[in-house]
Amino acid sequence: MSTNTYKGLLLRGVGAGAVAGLLAGLVGVLVVEAPIRAALAVEQARPDAPDAGHGHGELFSRGTQVVGGVLAAVVVGLAVGALFATAYAGSRRWFTSKAPFVRAVALSAAAFGAAALLPAVKYPANPPAVGDPATVEYRTVLYLGLIAAGLLVAVGASHLASRLGHLGAPVRATAVASAVVAAVVVLLVAFPATPDAVPSDLPGGVLWEFRLASLAETATLWLGLGVVFGLLVDPATRRAKRVSAL
Amino acid sequence: MTSPAHPLPTPIPKWAYAVALVALTVTWLVLQENGIALGHAAETVHEFFHDGRHALGVPCH
Ligand SMILES: [Zn+2]
Repeated sequence: MSTNTYKGLLLRGVGAGAVAGLLAGLVGVLVVEAPIRAALAVEQARPDAPDAGHGHGELFSRGTQVVGGVLAAVVVGLAVGALFATAYAGSRRWFTSKAPFVRAVALSAAAFGAAALLPAVKYPANPPAVGDPATVEYRTVLYLGLIAAGLLVAVGASHLASRLGHLGAPVRATAVASAVVAAVVVLLVAFPATPDAVPSDLPGGVLWEFRLASLAETATLWLGLGVVFGLLVDPATRRAKRVSAL
Repeated sequence: MTSPAHPLPTPIPKWAYAVALVALTVTWLVLQENGIALGHAAETVHEFFHDGRHALGVPCH
């Protein structure tokens, strides 16, 4: 199916999302699982066990939850793959590069920055054993609001880049990068701090191992999506395949 | 073949908005649903995807 139709892009987006989700899920099992287990052990060792209603490990066994974690990454990968294809279809003229592969990776880097890296800087991911159930709605609003603001910055940056098309590439890149950095600093300062403190019984090592592992998983999801989608839409891939078949 | 300086955007059909809505709803159900749409069954969904929620950096508990 053609890479010039929405349907053709959508199928490639969903396919790339499935692959990226599976890779991210694999990172989850191999890298994120260990600090999650360490945090759950801390949670279970608490004398008051405030989480009785939450029911960690009561509804599902640990093994089932690991499968659920991989499945979550795959399902989210399929969904963001569809959204990614739509954004790619609608935004082609914003890109300064002509190569579809470069455009796909640039779009995934922007999405990773806005939807994963920016919230990870302001509201770093927390393992189980951190977080007051009473503040979860407020924390969710802050988190989603920052992602929405980050996506607006990304859209604004691509608009600015196409507006400055008459400038030389280094000047244009400097202007756009400065505007993005300024906007990100404003967002990081303007958004309120996360309301929950990290409990003192959770070792800092476990906390940061988890946070970096979580970032590795979201990076695998977004950048994997961009690379696989880019390979699927770039005519150079097909040409390379034809050459290697000779 | 002439290649324009900026490749033309692909026309997006109306049903693409339905696809986007489904994708956002699915993402919400996996990562965020805590009872708004599924009521009591949400706890089962929450617990099944719990590792994934935390690993993907979503606020939880
Ligand atoms: Zn939870």
